Amino acid sequence: MKRILTLLPATAVCLAFVSGLAYSIWQIAITTTSVDLPGLLGENLDQSGVENPVTAVLLNFRSYDTLLEIGVLVIAGIAGISVARTSSLEDPELRTSDTLLYALQRWLIPLMLLLAGYLLWAGSDRPGGAFQAGAVLAASGVLMRLGGIPMDFLRPGIMLRLGLSLGFAVFLLVAVTSALHGGEFLAYPPELAKTLIVVIETVLTLSIAMVLLALFVSAPVNNAEEPEEGGSG
Amino acid sequence: MTLWLMAGLLFTPLAWAVLTLLAGFRRGRVVTWLGIAIQVLVSLALWAVVVRDGGFQYPLGGWQAPLGIELRVDGLAVTFVLLTALVAAASGLHAGFYLDPDKQWHRYFWPLFWFLWAGLNVVWLGNDLFNLYVGLELISLSAVGLVALGGQSEALRAALRYLMAALLGSLAYLLGVALFYGEFGSLSLSGIASALGQDSSGDGTGFALVLMLFGLALKTALFPMHRWLPPAHGIARSPVSALLSALVVKGSFYIAARLWLELGAPLGSLALAQLLGLLGGMAVFWGGWQALRQRKLKQVVAYSSVAQIGYLFLLFPLTWNTTEAAALQAQQAMTLQVISHALAKAAMFLSAGNLIMSVGSNRVNALAGVSHFLPFSLFSFGLAGVSLMGLPPTGGFAAKWLFLQASLATGQWWWLVVLLGGGLLSAAYVFRVYRASFVEDSNIDHFFHPARRLEIIPMILALLSLGLGLMAEPVLSVMALTFANGEGT
Repeated sequence: MKRILTLLPATAVCLAFVSGLAYSIWQIAITTTSVDLPGLLGENLDQSGVENPVTAVLLNFRSYDTLLEIGVLVIAGIAGISVARTSSLEDPELRTSDTLLYALQRWLIPLMLLLAGYLLWAGSDRPGGAFQAGAVLAASGVLMRLGGIPMDFLRPGIMLRLGLSLGFAVFLLVAVTSALHGGEFLAYPPELAKTLIVVIETVLTLSIAMVLLALFVSAPVNNAEEPEEGGSG
Repeated sequence: MTLWLMAGLLFTPLAWAVLTLLAGFRRGRVVTWLGIAIQVLVSLALWAVVVRDGGFQYPLGGWQAPLGIELRVDGLAVTFVLLTALVAAASGLHAGFYLDPDKQWHRYFWPLFWFLWAGLNVVWLGNDLFNLYVGLELISLSAVGLVALGGQSEALRAALRYLMAALLGSLAYLLGVALFYGEFGSLSLSGIASALGQDSSGDGTGFALVLMLFGLALKTALFPMHRWLPPAHGIARSPVSALLSALVVKGSFYIAARLWLELGAPLGSLALAQLLGLLGGMAVFWGGWQALRQRKLKQVVAYSSVAQIGYLFLLFPLTWNTTEAAALQAQQAMTLQVISHALAKAAMFLSAGNLIMSVGSNRVNALAGVSHFLPFSLFSFGLAGVSLMGLPPTGGFAAKWLFLQASLATGQWWWLVVLLGGGLLSAAYVFRVYRASFVEDSNIDHFFHPARRLEIIPMILALLSLGLGLMAEPVLSVMALTFANGEGT
């Protein structure tokens, strides 16, 4: 009985949420939008430097959002490594020694690297791009890490921090260079748009992979603790 | 000139985040001083430009809304940009001396600090629903990272709780954004507002507004969704607590207020407005009562934030379906409350950090005898407290006076109870700290004396909060500046 009483409010909230959402979606589905954004996008696509509308939105029309989202990824990476004990990377107990994994790795890793490269390249005219390529690259890193291949650059040194920030830094430099020439922040010169987008996508792929891999490698355990302010008294 | 200022404003915090990530703590501190100087100057210059010429739209990448993202640089936005510059500069300078440079994880304070600053500016200037979401994410994640810094288990627990609350709030907001996009085909806030004004009835987006307000209220720690705030703000290092209480919770509140003022009239309802006001009023009482009962000094200050946030939510009932004059008064009151609470609460947390450092304990009772040997730090704490109580001539008084007038003008007399009772409760918890500090236990000065530079920073903030009541007129006149060309879109 008591359990039912505690479940009742939760059920009521869920029901209200679902019915509100259903009513909203129903209302939205029967009205036409006042702004035709896909049409507007199609008209401006040839000025964006790429043929894939998704890439055009992500890296040109709404590049500010993407720049900041990469910032969010870097923050996640920083927060991850700031709480991490990283000596575990060298811990032999954590290494897998599985012959099947080794054998598979030899086949899979070159294929995955190739796939990451393809996804990056495909982004300019069909679905693909830095986020997908970065995810595949990170996955191959995870596989290598599980197989015990040493990756010294993941230790918390300057290499890791450079890798985390490289994509973001290059993107930011491109953004400010256009502003220094008297334009708006992030306004690419039209003739260079394609080159700039490809450069940004490439460095972003590396950095995204780095963030994901750093988060995988760094588990939040820390022996050297910081006590609360005035906690001893 | 304006283009350069905007580029500087957007570029500096992000660039300094990268620079300080590559440097260590000590080098990062020097680099940060330079960045703070640039950012404060740019914010001041931009503020002066808007005061002189009025506000403007800034299309990023040269793409106009709705295809691209436009920033809205008006009087209110630059006022908050400047406020952020002041409070963040103070907290950053304080942190440089307060944090122990030999602990290796403190190097990550600087990049997170700069990302937080960048995120706050994104929110103040945003006029695009999705862009505001990204700004919220920047703020929340860097704030969580700052709370967790050092990775002590209590801090991690508080940070995770904060992260979960922030994520739930973000998801609710994002779902609302998706519904708005479905209805109007645009993400531009002013575009949606003008579409609503013309023909579209906006049926079905009322629910979206409720969802977004729920998510933002959760992120602002409105009663009864405030439970994540005291542990997170209490356990963080004091400069971090100052940033979190003074600025971070205001970011999500600002978005809620902007949504309400633009879309509240057609999509809101009397019940929703009164409910938000009621929860705000309950937050004032509950937060004040809890602040009175806490044993740890920083928990007192954290619960005081819960109470002070409550006042802000009086904006909702006082602007819904009321006369233009009363609505304007309520908006001015909200702005003054945000500014004075930001200054006072930053001063309070920074001086609380100094006091804790001096007595070596975080309990209120451990302050016995402090008034005798450390009057300076205690004085900043008290000055900030005076503003929270709402005594004249502080900014807190001006804000509550305007709220009072707006309540009377709209006939909603019941908010008077909140305004008067809340002031009494804040007086009670501030005096409780004072009483503890005046207890004489011995005549020996066994306290650690923090460096003078650590004590001066909260003092300046407290004095600014005190003087805000006297400067309220010019501040409010800047806040009312909209766009130079007279268009609201």
